[in-house]
Amino acid sequence: MKTKHIIAGSLLLALTLTVGFFSGREFLSMRQDDEIFPSSGLTAKKMLSDYFPALKDTAGDTEVFIFDSAAKGGNLLIVGGTHPNEPAGTMTAILLAETIRAAQGKAVIIPWANASGFTHSDPQEGSPQRFFLETPAGRRWFRLGSRVTNPVHQWPDPTIYVNPMGQKLAGIEARNLNRAYPGKATGYLTEKVAFAVMALIQKEGIELGIDLHESAPEYPVINAIVFHENASELAAIAQMELQAEGFEFRLEASPPNLRGLTHREWGDAAGIKTVLLETPNASHGRLKGRPTISLIVDGKDKYYEQAARLGRLFVPYGPDGIPLKLRVARHLAGVRAILASFNELEPDKAIELADMPSPADVQAKGLGPFLK
Amino acid sequence: MRILYHLIVLYMTIQLVWYLFREKNFWKQASLVLVLVLFLLRLFLIE
Repeated sequence: MKTKHIIAGSLLLALTLTVGFFSGREFLSMRQDDEIFPSSGLTAKKMLSDYFPALKDTAGDTEVFIFDSAAKGGNLLIVGGTHPNEPAGTMTAILLAETIRAAQGKAVIIPWANASGFTHSDPQEGSPQRFFLETPAGRRWFRLGSRVTNPVHQWPDPTIYVNPMGQKLAGIEARNLNRAYPGKATGYLTEKVAFAVMALIQKEGIELGIDLHESAPEYPVINAIVFHENASELAAIAQMELQAEGFEFRLEASPPNLRGLTHREWGDAAGIKTVLLETPNASHGRLKGRPTISLIVDGKDKYYEQAARLGRLFVPYGPDGIPLKLRVARHLAGVRAILASFNELEPDKAIELADMPSPADVQAKGLGPFLK
Repeated sequence: MRILYHLIVLYMTIQLVWYLFREKNFWKQASLVLVLVLFLLRLFLIE
């Protein structure tokens, strides 16, 4: 009788260890980096820590891909994965890194800007850890991370986060890379990542920065080009080009009093022309149904359809949803139009990217055929 | 700092295991296990 509770305790402890082992294995699998197969146009592969050594051997370090034409021109930075739960941004950066060649100027691509954010999912969302795409070489998996840095790497959150520009935000925003610019060398891990990106901008002589994002269909800043005021003309010309191509984009000026974001601090602190692109992603919206791989890739959700019928969304949302291939095509069209606009305004700093997949082809065939 | 955090989590984990074997009510033991699994994950996954 006395040993009955000890036997129960032992069995429960064994059960705990078993559950812990299998769940731990799932959590740890997120720390396995996605593979990338850069195009033959790649001229250098670096790490973010090469620009800020304090980041070396931390979860914030990430790969940087450089495509340099050696021909005189401007320098472009494309960043995906600032928010790892916005897959079209990451996938556009990966797609570009696997296809392009710089014909003039230089392109620097960071596909997983917040590398720590890719090592976990948003809690209580039930999001899949990965989604897959069929490519000519077979099925490839890509991680779907969290909007913010993994608390395992940066903990605890402050009650109120005061970012490097003095803006007061909710504590969790201390782990949001897009609130941490221009970064802080001695700050939180996320602030160190932002600091490293600023160091990269300086050392690579970047003149144009594009940050690729997604937003929920019920959020007003969507299908948009968010621009720093020093890129207002560039954004306006790009918008006209995009409309002529059949892509509706709205223009959103970066609010001067909203600090810590790429479209504010890259422009203010580094003086580069900066834009941020947004596409609609149902998989991280609040009105979605069950979060599945299909929701990420095919973008169909009956609850968003209903919300659209009720006029609650800022984008059209029909039975076909908004698939990943369309969202990536929109980003590609945005990048292409911004580059064309930049080249028109700054002909002596022109940037030409060759072999970039056309948005129409990606929209028609999907991303898979263009990936390795 | 990280070692200190590890030690705190380890101390709490040992306390939980200790109470798991002292507790005589099965349902209270089962409830305790739900907490223990989170502590174990925290203990082993922290970097």
